[in-house]
Amino acid sequence: MTISDEALHKEVTAWLAANWKPTFRGRAAAGSAGGASPEWLTMVVEARWAVPRWSEQWYGRGLDDHQARIVERAFAAVGAPGSGQDRSNLWANTALAYASPSFKAKIVPALLKGEVGMCLLYSEPGAGSDLAGVRTRVERVDDHYVVNGQKVWTSSAAEADYGMLLARTDWDVPKHKGLSFFFLPMKQPGVEVRPLRQITNESHFNEVFLTDAIASAENLLGPLGGGWGVLQTALAYERSVMGEAARGPRSGAKETGGETNLIDLAREAGRLNDPLIREDIARVTALKMLNRMNTARAKADLAQGTSSPIMSLGKLAMSRILHEEARVRTAILGAGSLLEGPDHPRAEDANFLTLNAYFTSIGGGTDQIQRNIIGERVLGLPKEPEVDRDVPFRQVRGG
Amino acid sequence: MASFTDEDRTALTDAFRRLLNDRAGEADVRRVMETPEGYDRDLWRQIAEMGVVGLVVSEDHGGGGGGPVELERIMEEAGAVLLCGPLLSSGVLAASLIQALGNEDAKARLLPGIADGSLIATAALTGDAGEWTPEAIEVSATEDGALTGVASYITHGQNADILLVAAHMADGIGVFEVAADAPGMTITALPAFDHTLRIARIEFAGTPAKALRSDGPCWDAIEAALDMTRIALAGEQAGGARRVLEMTVDYAKARVQFGRSIGSFQAIKHMAADLLLESESATSAARHAARALADGADDVRSSVALAAFACADAFTTVTATSVQMHGGIAFTWAHPAHLYLKRARSDAQLFGTPSFYRERYLQAFGA
Repeated sequence: MTISDEALHKEVTAWLAANWKPTFRGRAAAGSAGGASPEWLTMVVEARWAVPRWSEQWYGRGLDDHQARIVERAFAAVGAPGSGQDRSNLWANTALAYASPSFKAKIVPALLKGEVGMCLLYSEPGAGSDLAGVRTRVERVDDHYVVNGQKVWTSSAAEADYGMLLARTDWDVPKHKGLSFFFLPMKQPGVEVRPLRQITNESHFNEVFLTDAIASAENLLGPLGGGWGVLQTALAYERSVMGEAARGPRSGAKETGGETNLIDLAREAGRLNDPLIREDIARVTALKMLNRMNTARAKADLAQGTSSPIMSLGKLAMSRILHEEARVRTAILGAGSLLEGPDHPRAEDANFLTLNAYFTSIGGGTDQIQRNIIGERVLGLPKEPEVDRDVPFRQVRGG
Repeated sequence: MASFTDEDRTALTDAFRRLLNDRAGEADVRRVMETPEGYDRDLWRQIAEMGVVGLVVSEDHGGGGGGPVELERIMEEAGAVLLCGPLLSSGVLAASLIQALGNEDAKARLLPGIADGSLIATAALTGDAGEWTPEAIEVSATEDGALTGVASYITHGQNADILLVAAHMADGIGVFEVAADAPGMTITALPAFDHTLRIARIEFAGTPAKALRSDGPCWDAIEAALDMTRIALAGEQAGGARRVLEMTVDYAKARVQFGRSIGSFQAIKHMAADLLLESESATSAARHAARALADGADDVRSSVALAAFACADAFTTVTATSVQMHGGIAFTWAHPAHLYLKRARSDAQLFGTPSFYRERYLQAFGA
């Protein structure tokens, strides 16, 4: 079935006009399509707008990317969430690709409707940059799996119904080959969630202790031992969602201009005539502008069908911008940065940014890992020899 | 202005690249940089025939009617091979200045020759201070157009047939046309650190000159010509940075130490990744500024300033780091890395320093 762009646009705008109300904005389950109530998301799913690229069997319309974006733009135009989940919903996409037929039939619609909360059980205290080195152990016992280990950096773990779990099921094969991927039920006695206090004094992340936690056979995604492949799919969706997720100053000051922010700050502090401060502000402002120009050029290249090496540079560029901006804010404030608390919002901004810049330069792959990826995948430089690559994992050194 | 399509730009850029690959390789650069005039006249004629020298000259004066967008693309190619010659001085700076001054007689007399490459022109815009500001001009003109004083850092001044000289007049800055063989003038070729470049200093002692705008000050026309020149230079820097990074990455793959390609070491790989960000950012900045100038965009002032310092810094960083990444081989005269490093260091000083443009960039935001 094909539909013209005009007819499609007319259909989706008419449906939105008839159904969308701003009061539908609300909280769905953790990790689901941003800021919408399950009631609204259910309507979007049933009207087949949630995943227009997917087949009709799976709540979609089988549209191509061009037409799917017509639908997404119509939703964006009225501020309605819930469409384009075939691009953005990493949980549903992963489940659709790898879950067993019976589990998929239950979990996919629930994920699209925001009825199920999710979290990620990837990193471990001993497996950060080297994710394939996870040591959480999964053993088959009768008709189910038993999970023991510790995960870390888990957002929304306390609210989640399921965690996407990467764990080891075979210790006698090399590290990438002994991993499996599960939707682990979180609301059970074997799962203990402890909030982590961050250097910013916030708590966005948790530690998750797994002690004889149970997963059923249908909670396995992909084949046993095929977890690394499932993870790659999930990571690809996660990266596309993360995009430009970096946060600015704590006070939530609008970052639309960015440059005026630093200029205003220096003027307010009486430092705008300091030539070193001026040079610093110009440098940081330029880095931000260059990153925007790079992103725009990458998008233009993509629209012309050529893939761009620039995309992979954005995260590295953002790390530098945030650390540099923090440094310049601190330099402008001078001794003012000694203070904290609500009576000292400028110091709060500078100090928070100084600490939270590491969220970008460490989280989601450190700058150093990012440079490896750019060097190897973009520039084609050879990988470092990996001493643990072809060794049974049982013999690999941990620590 | 003629309107270039993307296809036109690609065709011209591809043809130019092929010509340069044939005729302006490293061996050619090394050969011509040691000659007194510093460029290959035969190649120059071919570049002119292709329409590159007169690219931004209007069509009714024998040029291509192009603008900053196509110029920037062309200059990326020129920068990649370290093209030697007065393309920037004559085809961009002098041609743009003559057009910006709007003197119909001068346009008719000078532009066709500049466009077909038979006439070499350049502009003398600063003195021994080497700052491209009105205050740094050290030449004065009398009522009847006789020039006295000093101009320096004149790119291809010793190659030029015609010099466009900025001078103080009673009511501001004027621009004067002087023939290279005019009396009362001493042209000295300065020893340039970048051997692919030619720089001259001129002492004027009552040199007769022709005022190119009679109705008042012309610093605005000089700024307009400098904007076009900054875009061209930014393109050259971006193209040069990209080529040097390619060269360096190729070497890091091929060079083996400790039984491994040195590019497999993170110490080298991470430097390469950082340089990719530098060179891609330079390309984005140069192209954005070209587009802003072509469109007369609101952000043209900040965009051109940003391109000026970001591309200068990127080219300098990439070429300097490249020497380190190559190791000993790049410390030899025989290796091309130093040629690019020297060009990058020279480009970063021409027509204003990175610090000068950072300050101008900040001022564009009202600071």
